[in-house]
Amino acid sequence: MWGNGERSVKRGWRAASAALMAGLLVAAAGCSGGGQPSGGSTEVSGATITVALGAPPPAAALKDFTAQTGIKVKWVNLDWDSLQTKISAAATAKTYFADATDVDWSRVGQLGKLGWFYPMDSYLDTKSMAADMPQLASFTTGGHVVGIPYDASFMVTTVNTKLLKQAGVSGTPKTIDEYTADLQKVKSSGTVKYPLNIPFSAAEGLSTYWYETTGAFGGTVLDKQQKPAFTSPDSAGYKAAQWMVNALKTGLVPPGNINVADSQGQQTLMAKGQVASTFSDYSGNVGTLYNIKSSSSVVGDTQYIPTPGANGPAGNLSNPDGIGIPKQAKYPKAAAEFIKWFTSAQKQADFTGLNGTDKVYSGFTIPSRLSVVQQMTAKGNLDGGEELQAMLKTAQPVFPGGAPSWYPKFSNSVYTNLHAAATGSITVDAAMKAIADTANQAASGS
Amino acid sequence: MSPAWSARRRRPVRGGTSTVRRIGVVLIVLWSVIPIYWALKMSFQTEGDARAIPAQFFPIRPTLQNYARLLGSGSDVSGGIRQSTINIVIECALATIITILLATIAAYAFSRLHFKGKNIFFYAVLATMAFPPYTTLIPLYRIMSGFGLVNTYTGIVLVYVSGFLPLATWIMHNYFQSLPDGIEEAGLVDGARRLQVLWHLLLPLARPGIISTALITFLFAWGQFLFPLVLSSDLSTQPLTVVIAALQGRHDVPSTLMSAAGVLAIIIPALIALIFNRYIVNGLLTGSTR
Repeated sequence: MWGNGERSVKRGWRAASAALMAGLLVAAAGCSGGGQPSGGSTEVSGATITVALGAPPPAAALKDFTAQTGIKVKWVNLDWDSLQTKISAAATAKTYFADATDVDWSRVGQLGKLGWFYPMDSYLDTKSMAADMPQLASFTTGGHVVGIPYDASFMVTTVNTKLLKQAGVSGTPKTIDEYTADLQKVKSSGTVKYPLNIPFSAAEGLSTYWYETTGAFGGTVLDKQQKPAFTSPDSAGYKAAQWMVNALKTGLVPPGNINVADSQGQQTLMAKGQVASTFSDYSGNVGTLYNIKSSSSVVGDTQYIPTPGANGPAGNLSNPDGIGIPKQAKYPKAAAEFIKWFTSAQKQADFTGLNGTDKVYSGFTIPSRLSVVQQMTAKGNLDGGEELQAMLKTAQPVFPGGAPSWYPKFSNSVYTNLHAAATGSITVDAAMKAIADTANQAASGS
Repeated sequence: MSPAWSARRRRPVRGGTSTVRRIGVVLIVLWSVIPIYWALKMSFQTEGDARAIPAQFFPIRPTLQNYARLLGSGSDVSGGIRQSTINIVIECALATIITILLATIAAYAFSRLHFKGKNIFFYAVLATMAFPPYTTLIPLYRIMSGFGLVNTYTGIVLVYVSGFLPLATWIMHNYFQSLPDGIEEAGLVDGARRLQVLWHLLLPLARPGIISTALITFLFAWGQFLFPLVLSSDLSTQPLTVVIAALQGRHDVPSTLMSAAGVLAIIIPALIALIFNRYIVNGLLTGSTR
């Protein structure tokens, strides 16, 4: 497998020049042949698989899995950002690091094109799973499913009903115009100085906020052919960007938000009652942040509302995490068994506490299976369950043609240019053009 | 020191210049210290207090709950913090020892021996410092993987050594250059061999340079994140920097817990910097005033 690379390395050692070692190693790697996936072992019972995700589930659950299948699990706990870095490094270097790991919705196109993950439909009956897992569509690329969703994250609108009532706002806004008018009323009444949270910091959270707002205006940022659909002033994406920037300029959004990231805005503004609404919030926040006494001063005051749209309630966009099998996995079949177990309705019910608190998987908020969300709602275990259930059923992928393989570049351009438009250094029109240029160049491979 | 130079040093600084300098020093100190103070303050707060509006500049209701969670036996994260602290100490110490050994020998050769292509080799060493470290990440990962060194102390230490060796060699080279040739020549005339001269004469004199190079290497190694993240797979080798980052979830950033972990992580490097400050400055300035 190493061929020329190994020989070059050996020559480097013989030269005994420590100073040149790093340079030779680089050259060696450049010369070495690309490691192709070995196909891995078909061993199931008796295999020890490595699973790289966030915090581990309860040890007893993993023990149960081993007892049922004979597969031992070695868990690698990494934060989400570090994990993405590790996946990229391992995939680029074509090196094994785990048998099962995270597949983020935004990287599905990239992962699919580069063939970093096994098609899950080779191992599991994904077609039969689809009905209970509406977000499976976000993990489909080239006709194959590359990850099974385990976390039903999607973008939602949250409001602080107490603040809205104080400002004399009654009823739920159904359109963007009504929503904007309500926010203006909150501001003019003096209830809060800046009623809307938009995280304008140049980070991924700003990109997803724009996608959701674009959806609310009745469109998508890319069309089915993955071409930019936001350059015309009449387009939903253009209007969404203009609305966001105007909200800042007209004082609906705190001026300091120019440097506020998504989670920061949720934790320090929404959870502290400093703003009355977040248009694109995380779907679990009411239960996991706003209703938690130790970190929130708005317990019981917030709720999800159907996303106000151009002409009435709009849909929600999905940004879930899935779990997949890297092509370099040593035990892909055993990993598939694990994924089947990990994403099963039974296990998700356990993890959410439906079958006892000892089985709770901390950090696991909204299950990807609709049936489990329904059970949680019925038992009163999910704050805003009724609303979330309805939204999950209809939540759509961000990109109708699938996430493009050049998504990281695109997102970078989105948040950089929207941030610049918010600071006033460029116009919204210039921002839209710059983002479109990036998309067109990336799509053409230049 | 010449009388003229001595007089120049004693010349009093004019009032205006002195005030500007003091203001500058205060600003630089504040710029450096405030983030550390803020992390320290947050480490003694609950999440609610840390995010309170208006911001609390002091922990009004100080708590040790974050430290208890990080260090207390039986907590969900204490085992990881303990093991990763051991890992980081081992990795940094080994990398420092090996780097110093190799850098000393290489620096001695570059500064004292005469061989063909010496300058080319030396400048090649310096040139490697110009490479952005990330460009070598993937190749090094592949090589370490090929040799079965991923998730081993050996793999991480080797990568640290390859990264820090050029700077260490350069600092040691400058130090050797600052020592008079006469000492070595006297030893050679008295019949000592090169290695004996190095061991018995030069190394004792170069001890401050060795100490400062070791400190700088250790501190650089302590702050590493990306390379150990990629080259380690679990708690058997993950250093503290990687484990602290893993405390956060995708939708949840436990800022006070992470601040407390950050405070623990800077104790050792801060002590080193405070106690051995003289050596570190000396090492960085060696050769600059010749």
